[in-house]
Amino acid sequence: MNTIEQQLWDYIDGNLDDSSKKAIEEKIALDAEVKAQYEDLLKLNLAFNGMDLDEPSMSFTRNVMESVALAPAPVAMKTKVDKKIIYSIGGFFVVSLLALLSYVFYHANLEMPQFDLKVNFDFNLEKYITSTAIYAFLFADLVIGLIFLDQFLRKKIAQK
Amino acid sequence: MEQKLTDLELIQKVLNGETDQYALLVKRHQRFVFTLALRFSKNREDAEEIAQDCFVKAYKALGAFKQTAKFSTWLYTITYTTAMTFLRKNRLDTTSIHDESTILQLENQTSSFNANGYERQDSHAFLNIAITQLSPDDAAIITLFYKGEQSLEEIGEALHMEPNTIKVKLHRARQRLKEKLQYLLKDEVKELL
Repeated sequence: MNTIEQQLWDYIDGNLDDSSKKAIEEKIALDAEVKAQYEDLLKLNLAFNGMDLDEPSMSFTRNVMESVALAPAPVAMKTKVDKKIIYSIGGFFVVSLLALLSYVFYHANLEMPQFDLKVNFDFNLEKYITSTAIYAFLFADLVIGLIFLDQFLRKKIAQK
Repeated sequence: MEQKLTDLELIQKVLNGETDQYALLVKRHQRFVFTLALRFSKNREDAEEIAQDCFVKAYKALGAFKQTAKFSTWLYTITYTTAMTFLRKNRLDTTSIHDESTILQLENQTSSFNANGYERQDSHAFLNIAITQLSPDDAAIITLFYKGEQSLEEIGEALHMEPNTIKVKLHRARQRLKEKLQYLLKDEVKELL
């Protein structure tokens, strides 16, 4: 439903993008009927802008103030903390933990100890569980963790 | 000359213990809140009660007001919910614009104006009569848009609707208001506006 009248109202309200604005301006310039309709709507818009507001009784403010005097004085919520501070603290801990983990893994000897199993496996474990495989596993965990963190933060932003 | 304090500055003063400053906020917004309440209740006494209740609620919740939005938008949201609760509780007659009695009422008003020779009454008076004949939602949207200095998004927030819904409703409300004015003023509408 996008009648010419709606387009004209959108034009008057300034809700049109550049191309639609240009299109409606052309219609107004070329079509006398559209131009007349536009002028009528402009007058109507002016009249709507001039509508009066009603006045409550003289004692309105006093009545409100008498009512609020009985209520406890409002105070700013104590939980009102700048979110940037929370994110900064959170970020600091995440970075610290990651740095610590990186340090530990960098200095740790991730080579698998020699197994002395009597069970005869059909495959060689040492061949598969290498330090590279463990690094890859940890890297995948990190990526998954970051994806979850990203989703969590996006949800939080969307909820605002 | 003392500089006029903004809404947020006044709120801060109230939260800091200067509760009498709330009277300035009330005075600043009472006409609009009252008008909005009147759009829903269609009755001055009820509108006054709704508006008063709304300011008391706003005062009590002032500490929870997120100062990232406009105070007026927040206040109009409270007005809307208070008015809705009031209407539900009191089951007030929110006359539809398609209602036969509305048309009858309009007819009487028109004839009384003509009978008294007020053919060139102030256009504002006619407009206000036409607005009272709209449905509460239409009247509230028109009032919020033209007198509340609210964007479509802010009106949506106040009335718990999507901005696009508000846009469509605003179009329809203006159309209906135009029809009401045309009905009320017959051929004089263009002349008067």
